[in-house]
Amino acid sequence: MLRFLTQLGSYFLLLKKVFSKPEKPSVYYKQTMHEMVFLGLNSVGIITIISFFMGAVITLQTAYNTENPIYPTYLIGLGCRDSILLEFSSTITALILAGKVGSNIASEIGTMRVTEQIDALEIMGVNSASYLILPKIIATLLFNPVLTLISISVGIFGGWIAGTTAGVITSEDYVYGIQYAFIPYYVTYAIIKTLFFAFIITSVSAFQGYNVEGGSLEVGRASTKAVVYSSVLILLFNVILTQTLLS
Amino acid sequence: MIKVNNLNKSFNGKTVLRDISVTFEPGKTNLIIGRSGSGKTVLLKSIVGLHDIDDGEVWYDDVLFNRLDFRGKKEIRKEMGMLFQGSALFDSLTVEQNVRFPLDMFTDKSDEEKRDRVNFCLKRVNILNANDLLPSELSGGMKKRVAIARAIALNPKYLFCDEPNSGLDPLTAILIDDLIKEITEEYSMTTIVNTHDMNSVMKIGEKIFFLSDGIKCWEGNNKEILSSDNNTLNDFVFANALAKQLRTTLIRNHHGN
Repeated sequence: MLRFLTQLGSYFLLLKKVFSKPEKPSVYYKQTMHEMVFLGLNSVGIITIISFFMGAVITLQTAYNTENPIYPTYLIGLGCRDSILLEFSSTITALILAGKVGSNIASEIGTMRVTEQIDALEIMGVNSASYLILPKIIATLLFNPVLTLISISVGIFGGWIAGTTAGVITSEDYVYGIQYAFIPYYVTYAIIKTLFFAFIITSVSAFQGYNVEGGSLEVGRASTKAVVYSSVLILLFNVILTQTLLS
Repeated sequence: MIKVNNLNKSFNGKTVLRDISVTFEPGKTNLIIGRSGSGKTVLLKSIVGLHDIDDGEVWYDDVLFNRLDFRGKKEIRKEMGMLFQGSALFDSLTVEQNVRFPLDMFTDKSDEEKRDRVNFCLKRVNILNANDLLPSELSGGMKKRVAIARAIALNPKYLFCDEPNSGLDPLTAILIDDLIKEITEEYSMTTIVNTHDMNSVMKIGEKIFFLSDGIKCWEGNNKEILSSDNNTLNDFVFANALAKQLRTTLIRNHHGN
């Protein structure tokens, strides 16, 4: 318990250091653009592939579980849309990014720690925590909502392709279903969740990397911890946010 | 000038440095020598503020460095350059970007001025036509020289070198030693070098501090070190077979005369 509280305290102290005034905004701006490409744009491929198949599977499973003449077939499209909007695109995408981006951040910063690159920054008078972590947080906060929107679009498209190809729903019914009883707030809800998850992934992973002590073995451990802790926190905050935003 | 008074440092209750008092003079290469684990790196990192000290004082000229807050330390750190044991070049940046980094961060120079300064520093350490290479494409000696170029980019008043020759062949090590000495004299810097390389000690040791088990045991220069009667120091200085043989010969000749 004491260890947990110490870690929590260290995490908030690191955040305080991260959110202090940047030394030179122009350098931070360049770094943020670089991170948007590195952490955001480079994740578009994996998010697209996963979202496509996710949408396809949701559509097929909804279809096979609602094989009843009482249910109109457009409900398959509606079910696919709401599942993707409410849960899959934000949470599943976040869990995937916790694996891809989280481990990347922890190992990058961890390696910089053990090879004294962070000490080199400190010696120059640079606030290393802010310089290394703030651009990553800003980049993911700005880009992850875009990834979520891409995931929603591709997921719904994947559902349409799978549904019509497998013959479980007509194109007209699917399109009618995804428009039926649409609640725009669900998109806002997905974006809000994404913002929280992006912050968790980046800050928790950076914390793990920044506090590495030892060598390459510890960097690997920090990377694993980053993914595990981020994923658990994402699931926990998913419950909290769902209750808070949808109740 | 850097002055350390009664510095103590411990980790988890284990004392690593005990009551260290030393004065590092400007325009000279000041060496901290000692066996591995004697506390050299901890002393250097305590002086530059990477480790918080338990008690004592670290003065940079007339500023009490260890009592400064983050902002105060930041101002002094802009006048520091440091060469780390593993060079600590930023992996994702090219040679030019590495040397340019402190200029980007702390100056408002134009792109052209920065480029000129980078090229000047790289030329000073004899790194030519390597601006676009990544640190992973450089040899150990080149990495050290680029790290020196980065360290001097802002014309620092204080230069710190942690084991600058570790992992280098003897000839490259001599080049690095010469470079550190030349730069120190050229810019009248206060330079502190951590080393256990006796070649460096003899070549550039204008002022030498010997640490053993976290205690300063001896202080002198490269002319005095061979004739010291400090047994702990002599065990360190004459540790290898060649040096032992040399010492035996010297003593024999001395008694013969």
